[in-house]
Amino acid sequence: MTRAKDPVLILIFRGTHQVLSAEKRLKGGGVPMRLIPVPRHLSSDCGLAIRVPLDQRDRARDILSRARLLPVSAHLPREGGEYDPVVL
Amino acid sequence: MAKAVAGAILRAGNPGRSGHALSIRSARDLFVARERLAELFGCADSSRFVFSENATVALNQAIKGVLRPGDHVVTTSVEHNSVMRPLRRMEEAGVRVTVVPAREDGVTEARDVIAAFRKATRLVVMVHASNVSGALQPVDAVVAAAHRRGILTLVDAAQTAGSVPIDLSSLPVDLLAASGHKGLLGPQGTGFLFVREGVPIVPLIEGGTGSRSESDRQPEFFPDALESGTPNSVGVAGLAVSLAWILRKGVGTIRRGEVALVDLLLHGLSRISGVTVYGPADPLLRGSAVSFRVEGMDPAEVGARLEKRSGVLVRAGLHCSPNGHRALGTFPAGTVRVSPGPFTMRAEIATFLSSLRKIRGPSA
Repeated sequence: MTRAKDPVLILIFRGTHQVLSAEKRLKGGGVPMRLIPVPRHLSSDCGLAIRVPLDQRDRARDILSRARLLPVSAHLPREGGEYDPVVL
Repeated sequence: MAKAVAGAILRAGNPGRSGHALSIRSARDLFVARERLAELFGCADSSRFVFSENATVALNQAIKGVLRPGDHVVTTSVEHNSVMRPLRRMEEAGVRVTVVPAREDGVTEARDVIAAFRKATRLVVMVHASNVSGALQPVDAVVAAAHRRGILTLVDAAQTAGSVPIDLSSLPVDLLAASGHKGLLGPQGTGFLFVREGVPIVPLIEGGTGSRSESDRQPEFFPDALESGTPNSVGVAGLAVSLAWILRKGVGTIRRGEVALVDLLLHGLSRISGVTVYGPADPLLRGSAVSFRVEGMDPAEVGARLEKRSGVLVRAGLHCSPNGHRALGTFPAGTVRVSPGPFTMRAEIATFLSSLRKIRGPSA
């Protein structure tokens, strides 16, 4: 799993089912990932998001794209708790 | 299954509402059960399976979510009240309903159903196997014909899900409803509705889904579109375990076992004088429900005597399907119904038949 300082990407999905589907497929594809509570800065939802190492971005996109499970948004954490929206 | 329910109730978090461990575990219970339903029914996308309290709620959601005033719907004379009552309600709202009569053995002819299609026909609703006669209905032929005409199809699989193979990758049915507590061997309070992608359906119930919380509009993606409010994740945790058992065993194997038991039942019942059995004589043409009457005895009395003598529990009466009984000519007294399942032993069938022989007559 990633260390705290490793650059990561936060993936936000439409709903809990989509998060858990994405988790299953990413794990099946060997992408290290972690389920995290959705950061409040990113969504008013009270559910889950997925954190993947930034260097897994391409693999994650390929797997999720094939499964028609692309996230609704992806974000890079910045210093100070802010997030930059990015394209997965 | 019971252990899974007990375990789940001790750690029940509200799925999809939080990021804490208990909420995630409950969400996983729902997810795992959904994935297993998708595997069992041959569907690649498990999000199309929406959990409900039972088949009745699923059928109400399908019927009231699809039909609009001016639409025409075709159904059969052997439907359960969980189909007929919502259809009659929709009739009051301007939907036209055609009920196609079944034959005396409880089977509806596919050609009769197809002949009832009109330009305005929006939906065909059909039970897969009658809960009264056990008769399997010609679902494949009707669904194929309706699909070619662009008519939506809803199959009530309450009597067959988990007992008779259903493959959504080859059967182009649009909506499929079932309860979790019958052939799927789950706890009461579980059921599901499958909605094929692209089928327009309006939610019966709107509310909190844990998703899109910034909006006061119902989300349109599945399963959230049709799953509002706290779900029965405790019951579904049990259903997930039952589904795993069914997947290991195989529905084909379960079906072969039940056909053999129904065959045994039909043969045994045919040798008891004064007993009339309803539905097709061939066990391959029926689900596992077997309905019968004993000459000169009220079905309720037969049920009570069977329980008293041998602890055999049966359902007697109209089985929430007055039309099904009218089709068989057994309205209003109804019938006695026995339904072997995957855990029924041949010796239990023998006990039942022996008890039935003994309880005949007023002196029993």
